[in-house]
Amino acid sequence: MLKMNNIKKVFRTEVVETHALRDFSLNVDEGEFVAVTGPSGSGKTTFLNIAGLLETFTGGEYFLDGVDVKGLNDNQRSKLRNEKIGFIFQSFNLIPDLNLFDNVDVPLRYRAMNAKERKERIENALETVGLANRMKHIPSQLSGGQQQRVAIARALAGSPRFLLADEPTGNLDSEMAESVMSLLEDINQKGTTIIMVTHDPKLALRTPRSIAVKDGLVSEVVRKEAVSEANENVAAFA
Amino acid sequence: MEIKPILSALSRNKTGALLIALQIALTMTIIVNSVFMIQHRQGQMDRESGINEADTFILSYMGFAEDYNEKTQLIEDLNFIRELPGVVDAVQTNSAPLTGGGWSMSLATETGPDADDVGTAIYFVDDHGVNAFGVNLIAGRNFTADEIIWRERTSTKWPGQGVITKALAADLFEDDWQSALGKTVYISETQPINIVGIIDKMQAPWNGWSGVERTLLVPSYTEFGGARIFIRTEPGERDRLMTEIEEQLVANYKGRLIRRVRSMEEVRTDSYRSHNGMNTILKTLIICLTVVTALGIVGLASFSVNRRKKQIGTRRALGARKLDILRYFMVENFLITTFGVVLGAVMTIGLNMVLVDMLDLPKIDWYYIPAGMAVLWFIGLMAVFGPAKKACQISPALATRSV
Repeated sequence: MLKMNNIKKVFRTEVVETHALRDFSLNVDEGEFVAVTGPSGSGKTTFLNIAGLLETFTGGEYFLDGVDVKGLNDNQRSKLRNEKIGFIFQSFNLIPDLNLFDNVDVPLRYRAMNAKERKERIENALETVGLANRMKHIPSQLSGGQQQRVAIARALAGSPRFLLADEPTGNLDSEMAESVMSLLEDINQKGTTIIMVTHDPKLALRTPRSIAVKDGLVSEVVRKEAVSEANENVAAFA
Repeated sequence: MEIKPILSALSRNKTGALLIALQIALTMTIIVNSVFMIQHRQGQMDRESGINEADTFILSYMGFAEDYNEKTQLIEDLNFIRELPGVVDAVQTNSAPLTGGGWSMSLATETGPDADDVGTAIYFVDDHGVNAFGVNLIAGRNFTADEIIWRERTSTKWPGQGVITKALAADLFEDDWQSALGKTVYISETQPINIVGIIDKMQAPWNGWSGVERTLLVPSYTEFGGARIFIRTEPGERDRLMTEIEEQLVANYKGRLIRRVRSMEEVRTDSYRSHNGMNTILKTLIICLTVVTALGIVGLASFSVNRRKKQIGTRRALGARKLDILRYFMVENFLITTFGVVLGAVMTIGLNMVLVDMLDLPKIDWYYIPAGMAVLWFIGLMAVFGPAKKACQISPALATRSV
């Protein structure tokens, strides 16, 4: 579903060239829940931006749901982003002046979708995250965890092919983080592909597959099955 | 269209939007009323006086010598001037259109103090008046030489004949101007004047007077201690004759002082100098207000874009095209401007009512309001276009930045 081959991203200024991604390759299949980890400056966010079509790349190939995104213009990228990808941001990125209903409505308005269908989708999405009874509230009236749930509802409302989550629990306390993570796991269980960027190894270990990024390269791929096996071996040895 | 969410967002950030809407409303109020005043004044300036202005001038003098004989000198001067090559005609008169000073009296179709009367300007002329002024006699006849009387400044006697303008005839005889010919009207309540002729148009001396089109010519020479002679020349001869006649009159008789020689074009310029000055001030005000309002909109929109960079980035990340962002800001501004121009329409009418009351202006024509709204809408949209275009350039990647 997501296929990146030798992706390069170079940021250039007048005096310096920064290689944010170097020959970065990754395949994500439908229904997967993949964590992308790495220290600050490793290239996680650059990967996320390229995967989410928020930024262009300098070299390599990227196929999103079978579409070669390299030759797409800005409008085509916007359309693809709108239809295929749901975003969840670390700081929620809700629009503070809009109530929850209108916040979830934002991506839907950029599609040629009638008001009735939009309303149905918004209500369903807010129902999914348990906030259907607070549609008329504005974000500042909610806790951080609830705001992130609204952001998840906004991402889900458009029925995207996959969710891109950027440190979705980064701004939450542990209780709220657990709640949001559980929600993401539920969503994944229902078949939605999720790619989650996080610097939290514990969260990464909860996903079936975890990718470590270092210096713009995929440095390690860890599968949950392997981790479980190793843990069992350690337990048997002890 | 995103009107509902935009309105919802605006309702939570009222102050800036309200201030701009108020500024737009005030600008519209002042601009529309100023444009109306300019048009009104321009309309007054564009009115024809009814006389030949291109080839005419006024020469006035005062006699001061002991041997100065007003009557003989005037007749001598008129005969001399009328005989000069290039002169079409000349007439002694007390005043002329646009000069700002003259006589006015009331005319009534019946005698007595209770009769309904109509104010009119009065020009004392002889039988050369119609030709010298270049007015168009559309009914009846001109004065004859034997009808001309001599009038002293303090005299209360009026000649028995008059030539009136069509507008005065219509006012006196209930819009049936043609019926005025041959009728008798009364001046000073009891003195009859027989209307022997009707001229198409000749304005009173006062350009701001509501009855400026009402004029009565009476056959009189005036003995006011000097003379004001209105001279009409052949086309292209005026400037030469202005100098030549002044020099000749001085040469012919030195017991008088030539006070002033002015072409009617100069008279018109002087007459509307304050109108021109006010129009210039109003035009400057319009330009300044328009610029200030446009800058205000640019400022608000730029501030709004800068404050909402992250939000714009998020919208882009969620699928908004550049065009969607442009449209968002244009629609938002359109809504603010619409509120401003609707408020402005009400305030424009309110200010006009005050001006009608205070400055005796006419009521504003209805079409000034939608025209003003359209102009302010246009200014609003143009002003927001730059900041909105800038907003389009915000990268969707801004959504993932933590600062």
